[in-house]
Amino acid sequence: RLLVVASFFLSFFFWGVCYSPPPLCISRAGKYDYDLVVIGGGSGGLACSKEAAQFGQKVAVLDYVDPTVKGKIKIWGLGGTCVNVGCIPKKLIHQAALFGTALKDAKKYGWQISEPVCHDWATMMEGVQNHVRSLNWGHRVQLQDKKVKYLNFKGSLVDEHTVKGLTKAGKETILTAKNIVIVTGGRPKYPTNIPGAVEHGITSDDMFWLKKSPGKTLVVGASYVALECAGFLTGIGLDTTVMVRSIALRGFDQQMAGLVTDYMETYGTKFAWKCVPKRVDKLSSGALQVTWTDTQTGGEHQDTYDSVLWAVGRAPETKALGLDKLGVKLNQETGKIVLATDESTSVPNIYALGDIGEGRPELTPTAIKAGKLLARRLAGQSAELMNYDNVPTTVFTPLEYGCVGLSEEEAEKRHGKDNIEVYHAFYKPLEFTVAERDASQCYIKVVCKRFGDQTILGLHFTGPNAGEVMQGFAMGFQCGATYSHLSQTVGIHPTCAEEVVKVNITKHSGLDATVTGC
Amino acid sequence: MLCRVCRRLPAPAVTLPSFLVMAVFTQLTRMRPWRWFICRKQFLSSFGRHGSIRRNMASDRAASQATRFDFLVIGGGSGGLAGARRASELGAATAVIESHKLGGTCVNVGCVPKKVMWNAAVHAEYLHDHSDYGFDTGNVRFSWETLKAKRDAYVSHLNRIYRNNLDKAKIQTIQGHARFTNDPEPTVEVDGRKYTAPHILIATGGLPSVLSDAEIPGANLGITSDGFFELETLPKRTVIVGAGYIAVEMAGILSTLGSKTSLIIRQTGVLRNFDSLISANCTKELQNTGIDLWKNSQVKSVCKSEKGLEVTIVTKDPEKKNDEEKTSTIQEVDCLLWAIGRQPNISGLNIGAMGVDTDERGHIIVDEFQNTSRPGIYAVGDVCGKALLTPVAIAAGRKLAHRLFEGKKDSKLDYSCIPTVVFSHPPIGTVGLTEEEAIKSRGKENVKIYKTSFTPMYHAITSRKSQCIMKLVCVGKEEKVVGLHMQGLGCDEMLQGFSVAIKMGATKADFDKTIAIHPTSSEEFVTMR
Repeated sequence: RLLVVASFFLSFFFWGVCYSPPPLCISRAGKYDYDLVVIGGGSGGLACSKEAAQFGQKVAVLDYVDPTVKGKIKIWGLGGTCVNVGCIPKKLIHQAALFGTALKDAKKYGWQISEPVCHDWATMMEGVQNHVRSLNWGHRVQLQDKKVKYLNFKGSLVDEHTVKGLTKAGKETILTAKNIVIVTGGRPKYPTNIPGAVEHGITSDDMFWLKKSPGKTLVVGASYVALECAGFLTGIGLDTTVMVRSIALRGFDQQMAGLVTDYMETYGTKFAWKCVPKRVDKLSSGALQVTWTDTQTGGEHQDTYDSVLWAVGRAPETKALGLDKLGVKLNQETGKIVLATDESTSVPNIYALGDIGEGRPELTPTAIKAGKLLARRLAGQSAELMNYDNVPTTVFTPLEYGCVGLSEEEAEKRHGKDNIEVYHAFYKPLEFTVAERDASQCYIKVVCKRFGDQTILGLHFTGPNAGEVMQGFAMGFQCGATYSHLSQTVGIHPTCAEEVVKVNITKHSGLDATVTGC
Repeated sequence: MLCRVCRRLPAPAVTLPSFLVMAVFTQLTRMRPWRWFICRKQFLSSFGRHGSIRRNMASDRAASQATRFDFLVIGGGSGGLAGARRASELGAATAVIESHKLGGTCVNVGCVPKKVMWNAAVHAEYLHDHSDYGFDTGNVRFSWETLKAKRDAYVSHLNRIYRNNLDKAKIQTIQGHARFTNDPEPTVEVDGRKYTAPHILIATGGLPSVLSDAEIPGANLGITSDGFFELETLPKRTVIVGAGYIAVEMAGILSTLGSKTSLIIRQTGVLRNFDSLISANCTKELQNTGIDLWKNSQVKSVCKSEKGLEVTIVTKDPEKKNDEEKTSTIQEVDCLLWAIGRQPNISGLNIGAMGVDTDERGHIIVDEFQNTSRPGIYAVGDVCGKALLTPVAIAAGRKLAHRLFEGKKDSKLDYSCIPTVVFSHPPIGTVGLTEEEAIKSRGKENVKIYKTSFTPMYHAITSRKSQCIMKLVCVGKEEKVVGLHMQGLGCDEMLQGFSVAIKMGATKADFDKTIAIHPTSSEEFVTMR
């Protein structure tokens, strides 16, 4: 904490020395080609560069994509992970998968649908990719409008003011800039030491650009990426198995994580718990034979799949940047760039943000916000730092899970079990009732301080539309909401979100938390 | 709409000291001995009620022998049941009088069956979009009968749950119509038996307004929202009259499920007491979804023919003074639905004789503590005519119970910032002041509006499109958010959280400070510029 405070003051000190308040909206590029060169045209990079340009800075963005190992995609457009191989295609396919469930529900709602209903991967992907391309194009246009120079170069650092750009054809260009921001994000990792993993497996980057349905799929990993992919594959009717080494959704509230995976199990996703893959072999039929070990029994198992998706984590894209030459400090374990609270690296004039920053949430909205704030600071418009607390997020699994603040475990750790009060409710969404769907995993948990004004420490929600439900509550949370703020708010009937303001059973009471009636 | 509620008269609480003493005593003794006494008495008296002699007693004697409770609730709907259950939890001997099914409007002819129908209609929209998302659904037919059977079964299930909840809470359910007697102590008679209590709550709710045949010839050939829930088949041709949220919701449901629907409105837009942006957008959306909207129109007469109803409508644009009034007829209508408002359900209660004041429309006038003008008689919910919403009635009923039976003398519902959702297509969410109300109360120079409109990502790959519109109404230098209005996919589930923050006094800066959840529609509220 001291360090944080110290660096905060240091950065102010730095400001004082280096920048006398500049005249507004005038480029100070001076002896440099640009005021700002941003390496990486993803969410954070685009936000940062556009914001800087808005304040009159001369800005260039370098964006370049290496093809995936499997080469399913050769190249993608502006927008980075989120637009091309993340949030956007993920949510659209998730929506398609929800339709799988909606079709079953529709019958209960009186719709007579002739069986069997088939899902066509290609139709869906065409729609998804068209949308992604339109977003790529939209980003290009926005950069143009805001007079940000876009360069399809692979950028690397020469010194603290110089960037080398390399085109696909191998042509080099040197750019100088007063400040440099590295926002190159990350790419999915492959496991090491599993024979056949790289040759026969794919990653989420490939998943979103597959021309053909992946068929029967093994998803290795239990991060949110793994569960989301497994969820939507199940939802569109594919035989899908998730292989989990230890626990699901590490870092998230584990009771909630359990509900998410329980729902997926009833939904049809298979789980191989406590199993680790040993090897992947391609059979003459073209099928992939996966051999794995059950770590509990020590037994070895085998099955064949059409696709094996590795979702075992993401690695920062730092290799090609030449960071070591400049002495930009990296975290040895993760390879991510060590950053101060003002997003500065260990080298002056070089900043970084987004997925590449050590300890930063790997989320689009945080990268965007941090990018904008950095641009404002660099343009001398504000001194406001990014606040990485209170970041809400939603996992788009078949049963969506949204949360903000601390998990119950973390709240216990920080405040002590006896000093927190957990209000909770098992509720049944009205849309589930007529559809005769099991709602055992629809749950709400509000973790509060037990004494005093019962400030909310964490809020967790599983159910339909969790993302849409959570945003407003995240804002209440940001404003310092207490339990009584929730209970004093009149509900909106009949919605799922109203169950959050209706929670009244505490875990301490041991009473049944099932909601009955309106 | 909501600010009208905030501007209610700040009348002082009328609480008799003896109630207070009793309530405090109640709290101190944790109720047990006293409750036991009451329960025993209740048991004896209910035993006695089975004797037929009592029915013939003179009314004054009967009054003295009326069954006594601590809390008598007239109306087993949302507000009444919530108040009764909370009172009972706090130790009060409680009874609920209900003439119809338990659960009131919400469960039987309101929110619950309405949302079931809305969900069915949302499935119809999904079915349009299925092929865009890769599903080949082929031929699809809709069976109203299947849906109605399921819906009715669910509603009956809820009725049973409510009954069980009352039984579990040892609350006596009295079936029948309540009528206040002329006894000196407020007393209620149901089927010739008398009941009294120091605290009587009127929670009889409301009813759809109807027009008489004298007002519009043939008006009674139509139905109301109550009748909508009795329809056994999907009408082929529907005419709905009204511009309020019920008309909008009914029109949306019937049209989406496949009924050719006309909506007759007196002026040029629906939801006229909502923010103008919402009113205009909803009117546009209704037309976009294929509803035949008749502006500046009123039904003149209705008659029955072999092929159904003939609804005659007069249309006159008040702006075009020279235009003639136009008369048209919609033929072969098999469902004419009046959705022209709701009125308080007080007929037969005899409240006039009780000194309980009502307004010109018959709504019971209450102060901020739900006290009527007669001490010992209270009212909550739709019968009061303010914020006709289930959660409002529930909250008011509970707050009252805490005040009466727990000694919490300040316990009352804050009627400001009540969030409301209209289940239109797409749904509407609104909380706080409209732009017009904010300008009126704070002056144009102190009001700042933030707006956005976009196509939700859901529609990124669908041929069917709908817009999402959002508006923040901010006031003062600090840009305190006093109103939030939206229409679009998912707005129904978005509103609740924001309503917590707005009630906390959130400013635009608080919205800006909040990190977005990506990709959602709701994130647009925290990234607005």
